[in-house]
Amino acid sequence: MFLNETQEEVRATTRSFVNAVVRPAAEALDREERFPAEIYEEMGKLGLFGIAVPEELGGPGFDTLTYAVVMEELSRGYASVADQCGLVELITTLLVRHGTPEQQKLLPSIMSMQQKVAYCITEPEAGTDVSGIRTTAVKDGEGWVLNGGKIWIHNAPVADLGFVLARTDKEAGNRGMSIFIVDLHAKGVERGPKEHKMGQRASQVGALDFQDVRLGPNALLGEMNRGFHMMMSVLDKGRVGIASLAVGIAQAGLEAAVEYAGTRKQFGKHISEFQGVQWLLADMAKDIEAARLLVYAAAMKIDHGLDATRSCSMAKCFAGDMAVARTADAVQVFGGSGYIRGFEVERLYRDAKITQIYEGTNQIQRMIIARELLKKGATA
Amino acid sequence: MKILVPVKRVVDYNVRVRVRADGSGIETGNVKMSMNPFDEIALEEAVRLKEKGIATEVLAVSIGVPQTRDTLRTALAMGADRALLVALPQDAEQDLEPLCVARILAKIADSEKVDLVIAGKQAIDNDMNATGQMLAAALGWGQGTYASAVDVAEGSVQVTREVDGGLQTLRLKIPAVITTDLRLNQPRYVALPAIMKAKKKTIEDIPLETLGIDITPRLEILKTVEPPTRQAGVKVHSVDELLSKLKTEAGVL
Repeated sequence: MFLNETQEEVRATTRSFVNAVVRPAAEALDREERFPAEIYEEMGKLGLFGIAVPEELGGPGFDTLTYAVVMEELSRGYASVADQCGLVELITTLLVRHGTPEQQKLLPSIMSMQQKVAYCITEPEAGTDVSGIRTTAVKDGEGWVLNGGKIWIHNAPVADLGFVLARTDKEAGNRGMSIFIVDLHAKGVERGPKEHKMGQRASQVGALDFQDVRLGPNALLGEMNRGFHMMMSVLDKGRVGIASLAVGIAQAGLEAAVEYAGTRKQFGKHISEFQGVQWLLADMAKDIEAARLLVYAAAMKIDHGLDATRSCSMAKCFAGDMAVARTADAVQVFGGSGYIRGFEVERLYRDAKITQIYEGTNQIQRMIIARELLKKGATA
Repeated sequence: MKILVPVKRVVDYNVRVRVRADGSGIETGNVKMSMNPFDEIALEEAVRLKEKGIATEVLAVSIGVPQTRDTLRTALAMGADRALLVALPQDAEQDLEPLCVARILAKIADSEKVDLVIAGKQAIDNDMNATGQMLAAALGWGQGTYASAVDVAEGSVQVTREVDGGLQTLRLKIPAVITTDLRLNQPRYVALPAIMKAKKKTIEDIPLETLGIDITPRLEILKTVEPPTRQAGVKVHSVDELLSKLKTEAGVL
């Protein structure tokens, strides 16, 4: 109803790929905490990385709503796989908007996953409050010298290219940060150990350390000292992506719960015949639908060039909270089985939690929603 | 070499099919529709022949209500060069019978000067398994049905058929009709950029009346019913009990 013929087709093709390749692999990937390079190679061929990259730069040039549809479908298979798509989407969006023609030559290898990327913002003293970053890039002849360290960086253990936010003017606050494209195989780059996480365990996360890393004149992405603003400019889209990812996790939980309730028997009948179970399923379905509609609304606002900040924060916040609550319901429908490793809903519950934390915690999202309300008024 | 691939819009294979309350057929309103899976295999084979440089053009043809355009759009995204739609009125409730479909396809194969038709062996909606055979007869061409391997040579095509008890290999003179079985290939997933490119291709319309084919049904569907629901099983406690039940209740011993 909300999607056009093309978006429906994108959904159908993504779903058939996910059903055949991603969802069956999720359990083992979670158990082994393995980076699924073979799945990403296949996704690269299908054009599932860099969805908004325009056709003249080698992408399919889809809008944000289509991106949201793809993210939900991928996440329905496995959230880590969707998050890789989201990461590449942000990096390619930055490159398309701010990259020089020379830098945009990186796009094909990023979209085919020959070069794995990392988006390096967070530091020990700068999580939600990005202005606290201490990594510095100091002008040195034609280029720069990078020093500092990043933590909890997605893909850090495996990445080839880092998009690193560094301070370039100590006095200028948010107007003193820039983004650099860093070869992570260069001298002076050290990788910390891989973190062992609660969920989304196929996503490789770790620390990066930069010691006198020399950057060439082409390393600066976009304008000097505008890094913070460039980062902020893709935040709305990032939130739509994570909100869709949360919807996909919950949707997988709903599907599993409905199927299980229709086959599991207790007291001589299927547990789906008990009203207590029916209410769990109904609540799951209605909240998932509500979250999905918030996501679509936010995505459509971006696509129509409207002010989307409040909508994106509402979608991300609602979808993340919903995913945690409703995958908990899925576990409840499964009873004891749902608490056992190897049952999909057990993994989904763990995978959901981070959607309340990354891409801006849900507390920050509430602050943004309130700030927007108080600044621009409560009118819808 | 020009290849024609007929594609049919059917209820998606993942959908739980429901029979209409009046028994006149199955429910298709508000149901997800997709390309018949055997036709996907046929199209994949044709596109692979094109990629190998053997075929020069792949033509997808469908006959159906206006929404059938979606199916042809998918065919274009999978790699068909052109798409033709023989449009039926929106209220065309019942399927065209295989004989009518074969006659329509024969006309198009003739006017388009097609060298090879690769079709699904059957559509998953009514499982007729007749169109390919009738089309070969209508055109007077050879046929290789239930193909699990297709090798095109100069002026001929070798078709390996899945038959009861093994594989049979035929050599057909081109032009010919081939129908595909499940194991011929694994159709590709449509790549996202290909979906965008397919949007720019046009779907050519062929009005049914220009073909001069009588589509009056010759068959009458009396009734459509759900398959019987499976009865619950019983647990037996001993071999003796099993034997006695097989003798007395099941009557198989």
